[in-house]
This record gives sequence, C-alpha cells and structure tokens, in this order.
Amino acid sequence: MLAAVAITAHYHPHAAQFAYVGPGAGFAFLGSFLTLIAGFFLSVFALLSWPFRMAWRAVRRRKGYRKALARKVIFLGLDGLDPRVTERLMAEGKLPNLARLAAEGSYTRLRTTYPALSPVAWSTFATGVSPAKHNIFDFLDRSLKSYMPRLSSARVGQPGRVLRLGRLRIPLGRTPVELRRKSTPFWKILGRQGIGCTILRVPITFPPEKFDGRLLSAMCTPDLKGTQGSFAQFTTRVERATYENGSRYPLRREGDGFTGEIEGPGDTFVEGTPRLRIPFRIERKNGAFELQVQGRRFPLGPGQYTAWLRLRFRSAIGATASGMARFLATEAGAEFSLYMTPLNIDPEHPAMPISHPPYYAAYLANVLGSYATVGMAEDTWALNEGAIDEDAFLRQAWDIYGEREAMFMNALENTRRGVVACVFDTSDRIQHMFYRRLGTAGPHAGVIEEMYGRMDALAGKAMAFADTGTALFVLSDHGFCAFRRGVNINAWLRDNGYLHLKHDGRESGSFFEGVDWKRTRAYALGLGGFYMNVKGREAEGIVEAREAGELQAEIIRRLGALRDADGSVPIRNVYATASLYRGPYLEAAPDFIVGYNEGYRCSWEGAVGKVSAEVIEDNHKAWSGDHCVDPVLVPGVLFSNRKIAAGDPGIEDLAPTALKLFGVEAPAWMEGKALL
Amino acid sequence: MTVKIKRELWVKVTEAAGAGGYSSAEEFIEHVLEREVAKTAAEQPDEEVARRLRGLGYID
Repeated sequence: MLAAVAITAHYHPHAAQFAYVGPGAGFAFLGSFLTLIAGFFLSVFALLSWPFRMAWRAVRRRKGYRKALARKVIFLGLDGLDPRVTERLMAEGKLPNLARLAAEGSYTRLRTTYPALSPVAWSTFATGVSPAKHNIFDFLDRSLKSYMPRLSSARVGQPGRVLRLGRLRIPLGRTPVELRRKSTPFWKILGRQGIGCTILRVPITFPPEKFDGRLLSAMCTPDLKGTQGSFAQFTTRVERATYENGSRYPLRREGDGFTGEIEGPGDTFVEGTPRLRIPFRIERKNGAFELQVQGRRFPLGPGQYTAWLRLRFRSAIGATASGMARFLATEAGAEFSLYMTPLNIDPEHPAMPISHPPYYAAYLANVLGSYATVGMAEDTWALNEGAIDEDAFLRQAWDIYGEREAMFMNALENTRRGVVACVFDTSDRIQHMFYRRLGTAGPHAGVIEEMYGRMDALAGKAMAFADTGTALFVLSDHGFCAFRRGVNINAWLRDNGYLHLKHDGRESGSFFEGVDWKRTRAYALGLGGFYMNVKGREAEGIVEAREAGELQAEIIRRLGALRDADGSVPIRNVYATASLYRGPYLEAAPDFIVGYNEGYRCSWEGAVGKVSAEVIEDNHKAWSGDHCVDPVLVPGVLFSNRKIAAGDPGIEDLAPTALKLFGVEAPAWMEGKALL
Repeated sequence: MTVKIKRELWVKVTEAAGAGGYSSAEEFIEHVLEREVAKTAAEQPDEEVARRLRGLGYID
C-alpha cells in the first residue's frame, strides 16, 4: 500500500528557482510564449475565483484570531543594541521612550545564541529553536570536500542544462537559489492559521520562503554581481583595475571631464561569462560635475550622494539585468575619484527573488521610493578601505535607516491585526565602525550615543501604534564590545602542533592554501568556532572518531591557557558545541565555539582560513567594535509593553511568544518558551 | 514530479522526524537526501566561492 504522500520535486519550502545571468544575480528571463499563454489562463482563473478565495480567506482569518490574546504583535529589532549602553543612557534620561516602555511594561537583558552572531541569533528568533535545529552556526560554513568556506545561509547553484550555439549558451533549466536555514519560522505557522505577518528585513530570509504573508529579504541577500556587496571606486589615481573587497577602476581624462566603465554581472549567455559593462562620463559644467550614464544626467554635488540610479546591463541575447547604485564624488581637485555603492538588486525589477510575494519589493519601491536591497547594505568595507570617509559612511547609513523606517511605518499604518516585524541594522553597523571613537575627543565621539537616541525615537514611533490590543517587543540580538586584538586560531593550532603546513612553512594563504591536511588535526574557519579534521567526515580527515573526544578536551584546556603579550586573557571559554545544543544539524556545526574576552575577536585572516605568523595581532581597521565574543558578555535587550514573566528570557522565546499571543500552541520541536 | 513511499515507511519517517527535532517529515527527508547527494555532487570552483563572499563585512 502506498501512502498518499507526495513530495514534489518542485516543492521546496526553502528554495526558489530563477533563470539568471550569473555567477552573480542575473536576468529575470523574459518569458517564453508558453509562459505567456499559461499566464493568461492563470489570470482568467484568478479573476473568476477571486470572490470565492476572498470569502474563504475571511473565514480562515476569523477562525485564526478566535483564540488570540492580542490583535497585533510588533517586533522592532535593533541589531546589536547593547544592554550596558542602553541601561546607562536610560539612567541618564537620554532614552525617554525606552525608559517609559520599561516602566510601564518590561525591560530585561535577552540571552543570545552561541555564537553571538546576527545570522545565528535572528534565525533562532524566527524559528524558536537552537542552531542545531536551524542549521545556521556562523556566517560561514565549510565544504567537507575542499575545506573551502561558503555562505552558510544561501546557496546559488549552477544552471541546469545549457544549449550551446557557437559562443552563446542558453540555459534550458533554472538556477536553484536555496535558503539553508532550516526548521519553520513562526510567521509561516501563523500564516497557516490565517494570521497575516509582514516581515521586513529580518536576517537570513534570502531567498524568501513562500508563506501566507509578506516578507522582504535581508542579511546575505547578494548584490547584482552575486557578492555580499562590492563597492567600486573610479579614480584617476590608478592605471588599471584592482580588485579587493571593493574594486578600483581607472578614470580616463577626456576633454573637460573623465570617462569610465561600470562593471556589472557576468553574461552567462556567453562562453566565459564576460563582465557586462556600462560606459559613463563625468563632465565639468560651470565648475560643477555631472554624471552622464545611459542617456541620463545627474549632478555630482560636493559631499552629496546621488539618488539611487537604475543601471540596466544588457546581455548578448538582449535580456537585461537591472541594478541600482548611488554615486558620490569623493575628490574633485587635481585628482578625481567617484565612489559607487555595491550594485543593489533593483526592487522594481528584481533579478533574483528578494520578497514574498515577488511583487512586494516592487510595491514598496513604488510607494516609498527605491531602497537598498543588498544584505549588509551599509558599506563598511568602503570605510575600511578609505574609499569614503566617516561622514560619508554616516550619511549612507542614515539614508538606509530612513528607507527602512518608511517601510516599517508603512507596514504599521496598514496592519490592523497580525504581526509586523522589522529589523534595523543601523545600530549594529554604526557600533562596528565607530567603537574606536568612544571616549575620545574627536568629532565622531558622540556618534554611537546619538544613534541610541535615534533608536529610542524610533521605539517611540512604534509605541504610538501599540494600543491595548497590541503586544510590542523591542529587542536586540546581541550587545557590543571593543575589537582591539584579533586571535588567529589557525596560528595557535600550528604553534601547538594541531595544524601543519606543507614544507614546514609558517604562514598560509587564504582558504587554507598550503595546509597539509594529512597531518592536520584541527582548523579554524568563520567567526565563531573551529573544527577537528575528522576521518570519514572531512575529505582528508585524520582524527579517528574514537579519539575526537580526548583531542577536543585537550584543545579546550590548552587554548584556554592562551595569554596575550601583556598577560591578558584573550579567551574566556572554549565550548564543545555538542555540549550546548542537540539537533539534527549538529554535525554541520563547528566542534568548538570560542568565547573571546572583551577587546578580542577572531582575527580577520583567521576567519578566512589563513595561518598568520603571529597568533594575536592588533586590529587597525575602522571596524573596531564587535560581538563575536563569549555570548555571556553580549546579551541583547528586550523591552515590551506587556509584563514578561520569564526569569531568564532568551531570543528563542520570542517565536513561541508570538504563537501564544495568537492562541497557537508552540509545536513540539520548538525549544523556546512563551514569555507571557 | 512526485515520489511515493509506502505508508508504513511514512509513519516511521514522521516519527523519526519528530524525535529528531525536525519541524516536518519533509524537512527530515530533504536532510537525509541532501546528505547522500552531497557525497557525489560537484562543487563550485574555489575562486567562485571566494568571489561570492566578497564584501561580507565581518571577513577580509
């Protein structure tokens, strides 16, 4: 007897499939004739069935809210808002709205995940489960075959079959884009009960999952090139293009101006995927500069970003990929330099899915104007690399904040009942980039405190929407610390005989270039932890499973004894991940999670599998605050207009709380407990 | 495309999914199949993997 169970090949709760021009994001494929015919009949069917569907939906919704304890639930996520700073500023009377929320409702510190990283913690917020059940343990995970790092949250696969016509390559299949976060977010469970949710920029929601509600993707959404956000600088200071985290391209002097080329995604319709390019010209007119691109002209005012400019890249077969960028002239003297933000996916013509339903991204752009879509939208690397200065970074960060606030307010104004959840990254990015200014006398010494004030004002705006039938939660996923010194765990493993380089070298390139796996028992990758090289698990593993426990205990003991040159303790705790979590994805987790002390973090080089000469090095970057430390040091905050009953709330408790407020029982797999 | 399995097996799959901490039987089945497929699946070139990570603020 066969079960009436069908697992459809196309049914994939975490996957979306789009034709694309990659390897970056690509072209929304202009449909075939068959698609048009199918679309026509579907439209007719949708039109005829509309009254019945609306009636059914109304019945479902009425049923869904019958047991609800609240009509509306608002989650305002302020990424990285630190409890110590928040409590101090509240005590000083500088956060009046949050203080009122605490006085009239509740305030508590919020336990975060191990490690204390946004993709991990917000995934736990969404699902109510630990990382071992949602599969996100870090920004990065690794290939067990090649030891190469990969983005842990999403995979863009290769196109299926390809028809070759000379140099042209026509994809016959679709390219899978897959969300790697597992388990089920609370908004999907509520959607099944007819309770509508609007989910704005909650991290690790790319590609967007189908559910009965609206969602705009966030952290780890790529740019049009398929990277996590590559800025460009066009400058007369270089002769040839150079590529680092951002790229520098030459500007050529021509007449009373300059010319250059914007490099876009690769054209996967052509053998070798050559980069698509758009030429542009900068012209001096009456002492001012003007950007001319694709037949349009835009003033380049001193110190002023342009609006979002749409850039259409045309492939060899005529399909187009639409991106958006903002430009800023950063010097206009003897030398000229023009900064361009990463090429964001255009929300009005998304080359990849960035919202659910797909038209929601376009709706927001039409109603509110264009907005940043790339996952980490604030261009921290441009500031790190000196392509923009601190003031330009702040203008950009606050512009993005303005876009987000407009979306949040739009959702609040249009939601009579259901859930609105929105996460703001501004609080995280500004602390990352300006922590070194805290306590100084410089012009940016007050930037972080000012940011806390603006987050308080935002909380005040959200409070205005919270009537007696509304439960409001203002929360952060983690706090913040200084990042002054970086620890290269790979270098420590080398010095202690756990990692070996070929030819007995001392340093390796990125991604373990030069590591002798046949003699290596442990290796580090990512921000939160590191791994043992286990036989039968890693391709070149040498640690026998029966020896792994003993080796792990030995490494934990020895690494905990690490001391900095001045005697400071860089690492407070080293956790065996299996002792923290239970779940089906534990096998993908780092074997160790490192609890760094305040002031320390894993080093920039160690995070990408590089073995440096020194174990501990200074951090010289503008990126000077971080939270990749012992999670005990960086809890988040939780405010609510309701009384929170739980004594030690954790971020896993918010999902079951949302369910309880709508009278929905938390499923057995959820680990969090309702807070109310 | 649909895949049919015996009802008896489906019952066991559902029980195993619940006991394992999965949020659905489909998630359990996908995980099991992914693990098997990963053993033989081709990997993307190293330089392509590295390129896609560019711009992630937390790493150099």
